[in-house]
Amino acid sequence: MTTQRILPQSKETLLQSYNKRLKDDIRSILDNFTEIIKTAKVEDETQVSRATQAEQDHYEMHVRAANIVRAGESLMKLVSDLKQFLILNDFPSVNEAINQRNQQLRSLQDECDKKLTTLRDEIATDLYELEEEYYSSSYSPWDSSDLPLCEAFHRQDGSDSPEDLRGLVGTSLSGRAGDGSGGISRGSTPGQLNGHGTATAEHP
Amino acid sequence: MANDRLRALEEVEKEIGTVLQCAGNIILELSKEKHNASFLDRQLSQFTTSVNRVETELSNQIRYLTQVATGQPHEGSTYSARKDCQMALNRVDYARVKLGELGRTCEILLDTQT
Repeated sequence: MTTQRILPQSKETLLQSYNKRLKDDIRSILDNFTEIIKTAKVEDETQVSRATQAEQDHYEMHVRAANIVRAGESLMKLVSDLKQFLILNDFPSVNEAINQRNQQLRSLQDECDKKLTTLRDEIATDLYELEEEYYSSSYSPWDSSDLPLCEAFHRQDGSDSPEDLRGLVGTSLSGRAGDGSGGISRGSTPGQLNGHGTATAEHP
Repeated sequence: MANDRLRALEEVEKEIGTVLQCAGNIILELSKEKHNASFLDRQLSQFTTSVNRVETELSNQIRYLTQVATGQPHEGSTYSARKDCQMALNRVDYARVKLGELGRTCEILLDTQT
């Protein structure tokens, strides 16, 4: 069941030291606890006076109790070292953790992109209708000589000559005073046309 | 899998606390004039069980690490997936900002018309 692995000297030595620490600490706890219980027994005959014996027993129990606590602390430190070693060197679990995290992040990314694509499709339709409504409205601040974009698109379907198209572009751009945007894209916001908002054109 | 082993080590830490607690309770009970024998028995059996459990679990973990450790550093990372996800979230934020601007523009236009 156990596979023979050739570990680097340092790692093998480290794991052997962990084993040794474990055995020593457990033995220390058990031995010191057993000795405390034995010392608690009241002896009838003592070599020194009772008071001296009691004082000696008291000091011994104090030291052994401190040893038990020290061994407990050493075990806690061992557990902490094992946790650290596990995190750094347990490759199967590290690989699994990395795969899980990658999967989570990719699914979140796919969800975001799917929702953005749906949003794009819905807004494209609405934007087209908004532009039509805006440019054909009688309350629009544009002159009748200016060509709305939707009209420009309609005419672009019918007209094939590039000069006509350039003429349309020039006419439509001349109405956009001071906004600095130069692109005819369906993604540009109407707010730019009045000089409001940011003067950036979206070029897909 | 990783979390299971780390959780097992955290349980071991609690068991070590239990070992010291039981040892203290036994000595405290023995210091009294009248001992409660059943309490002493319970604490002693819990002390012995906890010590055995700590030793067994830590031995198992060290044996597993001896089998699994290679001595080489792990070079995997989640950086590329994190970066792609961050860019997707940036795209969503950007779309939200642009939609906000579009909404404000529509409101301004409606206000000027009314």
